[in-house]
Amino acid sequence: MAYATATFDDATDRTVTREKTLGQKVVVVLTTTDHKVIGNMYLVTSFAFFIIGGILALLIRAELAQPGTQLVDDETYNQLFTMHGTIMLLMFATPLFFGFGNAIMPLQIGAPDVAFPRLNMFSYWLYLFGSTIVVSGFFVPGGAASFGWFAYAPLSDAVNSPGLGGDLWVMGLWMSGLGTILGGVNFITTIFTMRAPGMTMFRMPIFVWNTLVTSMLVLIAFPIFAAALLSLEADRRLGAHVFDAANGGPILWQHLFWFFGHPEVYIIALPFFGIITEILPVFSRKPIFGYVGLVAATLMIAALSVAVWAHHMFVTGSVDLAFFSFMTFLIAVPTGVKFFNWIGTLWGGSLSFDTPLIFALGFLTTFLFGGLTGVILASPTLDFQLSDSYFVVAHFHYVVFGTVVFAMFAGFYFWWPKLTGRMLDEKLGKIHFWLLFIGFHLTFLVQHWLGVEGMPRRYADYSPTDGFTTLNEISSIGAFLLGASTLPFFYNVWKSRKSPLVGLDDPWGWGRSLEWATSSPPPRHNFTSLPRIRSESPAFDLHHPEIAALELAHNPGENSKFADAPDVSGKNGQANGRAQAESYDADPDIDGKGH
Amino acid sequence: MKAETWTILSCGIFFALIAPVYWVLTQDPTGTTALVMTTLLCVLLGFYLAVVAKQINDRPEDRSDGEIADGAGEQGFFPPYSWWPLFCALALAVCVLGVVIGWWLFIIGCGIGAVMVSGWIFEYYRGIHAH
Repeated sequence: MAYATATFDDATDRTVTREKTLGQKVVVVLTTTDHKVIGNMYLVTSFAFFIIGGILALLIRAELAQPGTQLVDDETYNQLFTMHGTIMLLMFATPLFFGFGNAIMPLQIGAPDVAFPRLNMFSYWLYLFGSTIVVSGFFVPGGAASFGWFAYAPLSDAVNSPGLGGDLWVMGLWMSGLGTILGGVNFITTIFTMRAPGMTMFRMPIFVWNTLVTSMLVLIAFPIFAAALLSLEADRRLGAHVFDAANGGPILWQHLFWFFGHPEVYIIALPFFGIITEILPVFSRKPIFGYVGLVAATLMIAALSVAVWAHHMFVTGSVDLAFFSFMTFLIAVPTGVKFFNWIGTLWGGSLSFDTPLIFALGFLTTFLFGGLTGVILASPTLDFQLSDSYFVVAHFHYVVFGTVVFAMFAGFYFWWPKLTGRMLDEKLGKIHFWLLFIGFHLTFLVQHWLGVEGMPRRYADYSPTDGFTTLNEISSIGAFLLGASTLPFFYNVWKSRKSPLVGLDDPWGWGRSLEWATSSPPPRHNFTSLPRIRSESPAFDLHHPEIAALELAHNPGENSKFADAPDVSGKNGQANGRAQAESYDADPDIDGKGH
Repeated sequence: MKAETWTILSCGIFFALIAPVYWVLTQDPTGTTALVMTTLLCVLLGFYLAVVAKQINDRPEDRSDGEIADGAGEQGFFPPYSWWPLFCALALAVCVLGVVIGWWLFIIGCGIGAVMVSGWIFEYYRGIHAH
């Protein structure tokens, strides 16, 4: 090979170095400033919270399987759905973004670490301790918070929801939110100042773009949430009257909460769109279709998401229906652009149905349904009928489960060799996918009909005469199937600890972005050498120069200034030069002149 | 840094257009304030980036013909490990629990926090790092 990058030749050397004792390993984890280790800690911790939130969901579904109160009383039920929502949104999905962002983003821009390594670790500890404080509410007298994850005033005040659980919820979320803000600052600084030479903004992988835009949304949304939480705590502990019903407090809280809450939905969606956008080109053997369009769509979704918050408040009768309905409908446009570009990437590609692609297709299917019901709910006349019914529950589970969970598993299967140096098992991965896919749709598809029939959300019980029993039974069976789908994944992870090391920079063979140009897993500061960057796919250009040259030759318009494509100036010369050098390596007599 | 500047500023321009529209349509002070503050956040960041972009030459990562060798040399300072983020977060956790449980605990947490923050700030100005 003329172009040697870091390989795993030294794997044998590593086995002879003395194994660290358990105590040393613990100290390394507690004090690390390595973004890859911190990323893995985020991933593991958020997955643990995913399991906790999932167990709460199974308790909810078990209670709802039959009419009557079998398992939990009403107050416990309220705690279950409150903590399920809080955990899934703020302790699973949001930190999962920081997990993938930390583990992958610095590699993709060719940086040795993030801009503020110690701040990075601080963010993680704030998240872990804050989340633990919130969940510790289950172990105090009175139990955990039970006012719903959006804590509407005046239900969340000290009179209606007394007890430590509510205070722990408010202050714990404030603490973990502070970690989120600091993490966002860290990511923006890293992307703006630590890219490798030649990695211009319009050569960044879409995942990095989405990480950047998500971090901007974090800076917009989370400070308002932090302020609202502290005001709420002042009401609860210091006797303030910020959210007092006497002076319009409930609507004030709803405005503040949803000004955070709606961007939050996109904070947990955009990075996962990014993961999907990384996976599709690799497994369709084609460059990403419509690069600039995807960047523009991401920015548009982010900007619009800040101006749609009150569509959660249509039924209050105190918001401008026309403004918020129009803005919400507008979001469907850039989202449609994304779908168009994802399908365009798959179109005519040489598809390889490995587990990451299958999960990505599961994402496309599921999220499409969630988007369509979103358009229905954006219409105030329909929203008046469906608000606070199971239709809404079905809608947002399709949206957030479709994006976060499907894309998370797609990302796990895709980047597992980069994170651990070993592959996950394909067959188990496919069993995992089908159990998850069938389980999910069995659980939530029928909830659309439950909602249309009038079943309200957040009720602990229903009457046998309501006619909700059959669909609830189906939904609960689906939920347990969904829960069981995690078992093959765990077995897969357990099994992979003894899989052979991949020993390659790019085990998939068609990896495009820079993380596939360093060893698996990468060394401490990520790269022993960096390839020259002349497109959004520097690793692909390095490993397959002849195909990179062909791609460009087949798409001459890509060099145009107005092409909907990344900046590829200089890619052609580089690709041809490399292809030639490689063929000389293989056969010095390639030009037929003899030597 | 021009692409970075315009990424931020384009959002700022959108919010600058939306905020007055929202005020005229709704007269809602809460949402308008939030939108105006968001506009100012984007303008502040964009302005800073624009000023920096004017003061420095194009960095290797701004140039599409940048070579890896152009970025050679000191990459910055990366602490190899640190105990202080953990200690500072523990101190803040004590403060947070203090708000919930009792102000005596909050005061203790602030005391611990002052020590821990000093430890973090002066980590590379003490001992073998003193200068």
